[in-house]
Amino acid sequence: MNDALSVFVLLSVPGLPLLLAFPALRSRLSRPCHIALLPAVVLLAVPDVVSIDVPWLLLGTGLSIDAASRWLLAMSVVLWAAAATLLQTPTGQPADNCLMACFLLTLAGNLGAILASELVGFFAFSTLMGYGFYGLLVAGGDESARQDGRVYLCFLILADLALFEALLIAAAATDDLGFEAVRHAVARSPSPGLYLSMVLVGYALKTGVWPLHFWLLLAFRSARPAVALLLGGVPIAIGLLGMARWVPVGEISFPDVGLIVQGLGLAAMLYAIVAGLKRAQLKLLPAYAAIIATGLFAIALGTGLADPVAWNRYDNLTQLFIVSLGFGLAGLTTAIRWLEARDHRSAALARQVYNSTPWFERWPGAVVHWAARIGFDTLPRLRTLWLAEMGRLRRARVWKRTLDGSERFLQRWTIAISLFALFGMVVAAFVGASSWIG
Amino acid sequence: MALTIAAIPWGVMAILLPLVGALACFLSPRRANPLGLVTAFGVVACVAGLAWQVVAQGTQRYAIGGWGAPLGIDVYADGLSVLMLMATAVVGLGISVYSNSYFKRDKAVNFWPLWLFLWSALNALFLSADIFNLYVTLELLGLAAVALVALAGGADALTGAMRYLLVSLLGSLAYLLGVALLYHSFGCLDIALLAERMEPSPAVLAAVGLMSAGLLLKTALFPLHFWLPPAHASAPAPVSALLSALVVKASFYILLRLWLEVFPVTAAALGQLLGLLGAAAVLWGGLQALRQTRLKMLIAYSTVAQLGYLFLAFPLGSTIAWQGTLYLLLSHALAKAAMFMAAGNVLRFGGHDRIVDLDRVAQRLPLTVTAFALAGVSIMGLPPSGGFIAKWLLLEAAMLSGQWWWMIILILGGLLAAAYVFKVIGYAFTRAVMTHEARAVPATMEWAALALALAAILLGLVAPWPLALMEIGLPFGGEAAG
Amino acid sequence: MNWNAWLPLLIVLSSLSVGLVIFFLPEERVATRTTLNLAAAVLKLVLVGVMIWGVVHGHHYVTRLPLLPGLDLVLRADAESVLFVTLSSGLWLVTTVYAIGYLEGSPHRSRFFGFFSLCVAATVGVALAGNLMTFLLFYELLTLATYPLIVHRGTDAAHQAGRAYLTYTIAGGALLLVGTVWLYGIAGSLDFSYRGFVAELADGHRAALIAIFALLIAGLAVKAALVPFHGWLPQAMVAPAPVSALLHAVAVVKAGAFGIMRVVSDVYGIEFAAGLGVTLPLATVAAVTIIYGSMRALFQDDLKRRLAFSTVSQVSYIVLGIALTSPIATIGGLVHLVHQGVMKITLFFCAGNLAETLGIHKVSEMNGVGRRMPWTMAAFTIGAFGMIGAPPLAGFISKWYLGLGALDAGQGWVLVILAGSSLLNAGYFLPVVYAAWFKLPADTWPAERSFGRRETAWALLAPPVVTALLTLALGLLASAPFSPLQWVRSITIREYTP
Repeated sequence: MNDALSVFVLLSVPGLPLLLAFPALRSRLSRPCHIALLPAVVLLAVPDVVSIDVPWLLLGTGLSIDAASRWLLAMSVVLWAAAATLLQTPTGQPADNCLMACFLLTLAGNLGAILASELVGFFAFSTLMGYGFYGLLVAGGDESARQDGRVYLCFLILADLALFEALLIAAAATDDLGFEAVRHAVARSPSPGLYLSMVLVGYALKTGVWPLHFWLLLAFRSARPAVALLLGGVPIAIGLLGMARWVPVGEISFPDVGLIVQGLGLAAMLYAIVAGLKRAQLKLLPAYAAIIATGLFAIALGTGLADPVAWNRYDNLTQLFIVSLGFGLAGLTTAIRWLEARDHRSAALARQVYNSTPWFERWPGAVVHWAARIGFDTLPRLRTLWLAEMGRLRRARVWKRTLDGSERFLQRWTIAISLFALFGMVVAAFVGASSWIG
Repeated sequence: MALTIAAIPWGVMAILLPLVGALACFLSPRRANPLGLVTAFGVVACVAGLAWQVVAQGTQRYAIGGWGAPLGIDVYADGLSVLMLMATAVVGLGISVYSNSYFKRDKAVNFWPLWLFLWSALNALFLSADIFNLYVTLELLGLAAVALVALAGGADALTGAMRYLLVSLLGSLAYLLGVALLYHSFGCLDIALLAERMEPSPAVLAAVGLMSAGLLLKTALFPLHFWLPPAHASAPAPVSALLSALVVKASFYILLRLWLEVFPVTAAALGQLLGLLGAAAVLWGGLQALRQTRLKMLIAYSTVAQLGYLFLAFPLGSTIAWQGTLYLLLSHALAKAAMFMAAGNVLRFGGHDRIVDLDRVAQRLPLTVTAFALAGVSIMGLPPSGGFIAKWLLLEAAMLSGQWWWMIILILGGLLAAAYVFKVIGYAFTRAVMTHEARAVPATMEWAALALALAAILLGLVAPWPLALMEIGLPFGGEAAG
Repeated sequence: MNWNAWLPLLIVLSSLSVGLVIFFLPEERVATRTTLNLAAAVLKLVLVGVMIWGVVHGHHYVTRLPLLPGLDLVLRADAESVLFVTLSSGLWLVTTVYAIGYLEGSPHRSRFFGFFSLCVAATVGVALAGNLMTFLLFYELLTLATYPLIVHRGTDAAHQAGRAYLTYTIAGGALLLVGTVWLYGIAGSLDFSYRGFVAELADGHRAALIAIFALLIAGLAVKAALVPFHGWLPQAMVAPAPVSALLHAVAVVKAGAFGIMRVVSDVYGIEFAAGLGVTLPLATVAAVTIIYGSMRALFQDDLKRRLAFSTVSQVSYIVLGIALTSPIATIGGLVHLVHQGVMKITLFFCAGNLAETLGIHKVSEMNGVGRRMPWTMAAFTIGAFGMIGAPPLAGFISKWYLGLGALDAGQGWVLVILAGSSLLNAGYFLPVVYAAWFKLPADTWPAERSFGRRETAWALLAPPVVTALLTLALGLLASAPFSPLQWVRSITIREYTP
C-alpha cells in the first residue's frame, strides 16, 4: 500500500542523507549527520509493517520495513549516531566536505539497503554504501591509509561484478525480483550452482569472510576511530544480510556447497585464532573477532544449505545475529581504541605493523605487481618494434622513380607514334575478327 | 508567341552567334571584354531555347540552306547533343565571366575571338549529323585550342602548344583518312545513312581502326595521354579549364556517336581492351597526380584519370553504363573547370602554384578553397554530387553485368582521387603566417569558380531530369540493356 | 504545404542553412554568431519535439525526393530515428554552449561553427534516413564535414590525425558503397522496412547476401570503431574538446553503430540475419573490441586518449546488443546508444574543462584537482561510475539489459565479457577519480587560467553538470513513462512481433 505518509517516510530514510550530501544544502546546518538520521528514527517509532512500491525508480523497486529489519535499522541508527558524534569531537570543528559527503552517502546506502524489498534496490544501495565507505576509509588519511583503501576498493569491485552476474542470472530466472520470489525461482532453476557461487563469493568479498579477508585487516588498522566503529555495522552487517537474503537457503538442499561453506567457516575460526595469537596486536583484535564471527555465520549458512529444514526453524535469528555482531564489534573497537589512546602505544605499534604482514597475506600484491609489469613493459615494447619496422618499409622510394621514368618514356615521339599505330591496327583487327566470326 | 519561338532554329543560332561575337571582338578590341560576355549570355539563351524545343518537340533536324542530307549539311539535335550543349553553355558562361576579370586588355583582345570561335566549333560539333562535318569542326576546335594554349607565352606554353598541335593534327589526319575510306566504301557521309549501309570489309575495318585511334589520341586515353598534362598545365587558367572540361570531351563525344550508331556491333574483346586501358588511365593518372608538386599539373593528371573512367562504359555496354558515362562527362566538365579556375586564382594571388606553399595562400582565399573542395567532392565521387551519381550508375552497371572487376577500379580511382584532393585541401587548415604581400583576386573570379563547383554538386541532386533528357532521340536505341 | 512531407527535411535544413550562413560571418561578430548558433539549436529541438509529438500520435513523416530513376532520397521518422535525432539535437545544444565557451578567443571560429552545424545536419540526416542510399549519402557527408573540425588547429599532429581519419573513413565509405550497389542490384530496392526486406531473396543469393553483409558492416565498422578499424579514433583526439565530445558522443561513432543497427534489423531483419549465421561473428568482433579497447585504455596517460579507447570499447556494447538475437539484448544495445552518448559527453566536457582551465592533459597531472574544480570532477565521477555500470546510473541499465539478453539468447560467454569489461573500466576510471579526489595536488597547475571565484567559465561548467544530472536521471527514472528505455522497449516489441 502506497499511502502518502508511508511513501514520504520510507523515501526520506535514504533520501535525506542523499540530499544532505550536497555541500550547498547542508552548509547552514550544525549537525547534518544527526539530522540525516531523523527519518529513520521516525520510522522506528511507527510500529506497523510498512512497504511501498516505486515502479518508476530504476527498474521498478520498493522499500519496506518489517519486524526483523527493524532491529537492524535500530542498530544502524545507533552506530551511525555514535560515529557522527565521534567525527565532530576530536578537533571541535566539523570534518571537511569530502568526509561529510562520503559519510552521508554511506549512510544513505546503508539505510536504503536495509529497507530495500527487492534485489536491484538492495544491490544499488549496497554499491553506494560500498563506494561511500571507501571514501570514508581514505578521506583525510595519509598514503598508507590510501593503500589500504585501495585493497578494499579492489575487493569491492570484484564483489560488485560477481553480484551483478548473479543478479542477471536471477533476473533471467524470474521477473519478480523480490527476495522470496528470487530464492524460490533460483532454487528451482536448472542450474542454481552458478548463482550460488557468485552470491557467496561476492558477499564473501564484501564481508571479509576468510579466505578473502585481507581488506578487513588493513581497514581495521588504518581507519580512524569513527570509521572503525562502523566497520562492524556497515560493510560486514550488510554483507551478511545480503547473504541471508540472496542465497536460496531454506528452499532446496545443496549438500556439497553446504559442506564446503561449513568447512570454510570452521577454517576461518581456526585461522583467526592462530593468526590473531601470532600477530598479537591490539588494534587488530576486532578484525580477528569479526573473522571468527563471520566464520560462525558461514558454518550456520552451510548447515542451512545442507539441511533446509533446520534453517527454516532458526532463520529469524539471522537478523538478531547481525545486530549483535554489529554492536559487539563496535563496542570492542571503541574499547580498544580508548585503551590505546590512553596508553599511547599506537604510534610505535603502527610502525611495526606495516612491516610485519605475514607471507601468506602478501600474495595478492605480488600478483598485481607481476601483471602490471607485463602490461607496462612487455606489450608496449613489442608494439614499438612493430611500428619501427613499418616505418622503415615506408621509406623505400623505388616506386617514385619508376613512375617518373615511365612518364618520360611515354612522351618520346617514337614511342607515342608506334603506340598510336599499334592501337589502330588492334582496333581494326578486333572489329574485323568479331564481325567475321559473328 | 510560342509558335515563333519554336520556329527559330536555335541550334543554328547557337553556332552562328559565337562566330558573330568572335568577329565583333576581333574588330573592336577595346570592347572585347563586354562584347564577349554579352555573346556568352546570348549563347546560353540559344541553348536554353534549343533544349526547350527538344524537350517539347523531340529531336530536331535542320537542313542548312534548305539542302538536306546527303548533299547538304544537317544540324541534328537529340537529347545527347542537347545535354552536351547545355554543359558547354554553363561551363562556357562560367569561363567567360572568369576571363572577363582574368585577362588584361592586351591578352583579352586575343583571347575572346579565339574562345568564341572555339565555342562555335564546339557547338557545331555537337550538332553535326555527318562525319565529315565532324572532322571539320574537330579540326577547327583543335586549332583554336592550340592557339589558346600558346596565349600564355613563355617556353613551357609554347612547347606544350607545339606538342598539342602535332598530336591534334595526327589525330585528325587519321580520322580524315577513316572518313575518306568510309566515303569510298559507302558513298555517303551522313551518320544515319551510314548506320543503315554499314557492313564489314577490309576498308571499313581500316577506317574504324584509324578513326578510333585518332579519336583516342585526342581524348588522351592511356598510354596516349602524354601530351595532355603539359598542355593543360601551362595554359592560362581559363584555357586549361575549357580544355579539360570541354575540348577533350568533344572527341569522346564523336567516338561515342560513331561507336553507338555507325560502327558494326561491338566486339566484346575490344570493349574489354578499352576498359582495360581506361582502368590503367585511372590508376596511372591518380598515382601521378599524387606525386605532383604543382597544382595545375595535379589537376591535369586528375583529368587523365577521370577520362579513363569514361572508357569503363565500353566493356559494360548497358544503358545504365552509358548513362553513368554521360553523367560523368557532365559533372567532370563542371568540376574540372571549377578546379582550374581555383588554381588560376591561387596563381594570380601568390604568383606561383606550388602545393607545399599553398598554406600561405589558402587562408586568404576561402571561396577559392571552397570551390576546389566542392569540385574535389565531385571528382572523388562522394555524395551529394554529380560524380557520385555517375559512379553509382557505373557501379550498378558493372554489378548487373557481372563484371565486378571494374567496380574495384572505380573504388580505387575514388580513393586515389581522395588522396590527391585532400592533399591540397589540407593546406587550407594550417596556422601559417601570411608573410608576403600578394595581388588581390577579383571577386568575380572566385565566385565563378564557386558557382561552377556548386553546379557540380547540384547535379547530384537533380539527376532524374538530365537522365530523362538523355533518352530523347534514343541514341542508345541500338544497344540493348546489359 | 504538407507538413508531414516537409518536417524531416526541415529538421536537416535547420542546421545546414545556419551553417552556411555562419561561414560568411566575420570573425569579430561574436554576438551574431552565438545567437545564430543557439537559435538554430533551439529551433531544431523544437522541430524534433513537434516530430516526437506527431509520431506518438500516429502521424507519418516522410520526405521523398527523387535522386535517381528508381531510387529516392527518403527521410523518414520512425521510432529508431526519433531516438537518435533526439539524442543528437539535445546534445548538440549542450555542445554548442560548451563550444562557445571553449573556443573563446581562438582563431577561425566562424569556420569551426559552420562545419559544426554541417556535421549535425549530416548526423540528423543519417538518423532520419529511410533507405540505405540516403543513409550512405549523409554518412559520407558526415565524413566530409568532420574532417575540417579535426584539422581545425592546423598543427602537424592535427594534420596527421586528419590523414588517418580520411584514410579509414573514405575506405570504409567505399566498402559501404560497393555493398549498397550490390544489394541494390540483387534486391531492387533499398528502403528500410520492419524486419528487413532481403528475406525473400534467401534462395539463390545466400552467399551474396553474406558477402554484402560483410561489406556493409566493414564500411560501417570504421565509423563505429570496431577493431581493427578503430585506429583513427585515438589520433583524432587532437581536435578541440567540443569536437571530441561531438565525435564520440553524438555524431560519428553513433552514426556507425546506428548504421549497423539499421543494416541488421531494417535491411536484413534480426532473425533472418541470425539464420544466415552472420550475427555470431559480429558479436565476436564486438566482444573482442570491448576487451581490446578497455585494455588499451588502461595504459594511456593522456586523458583524452584514455577516453577515446573507452569509447571504442563502449560503442561495441551497442553492436553486441544488436548482434545477440534476443529482444532484451536489442533493448540493451539501443538504450546504450543514448546512455553512452550522455555519459561520454560528460567525460569529454570535463576533460576539456581541465585542459582549458588548468592546462591538464594527462592523468598523471590530475592529482588533487577535485579540490580546485569540484563540480567538474563531480560530473566526471558520475560519468565514470556510469561507465563502470554502477547503479543507479544510466550505464547500469544498459548493462543489465545486455546481460539479460545474453542469457536469453543462450550466449553465456557474453556475461564473462561484460564482467571483464566492467573490471577493466573500473581499472582505468577509478584511478583517475581517486587521483583527483584523494591525492595531494602538485604546487602549480601546468597552465592555469583564473575565472574569479568560479572554478571555470559558466559556459564550460554548465554542460557537464547538466549531462551528469541527465546520466543520473536516465538511470534512476529508467522505468518512468517517457524515458529512453521505455521508448526502446516499444521499438523492440514492434521489431520482434510478427
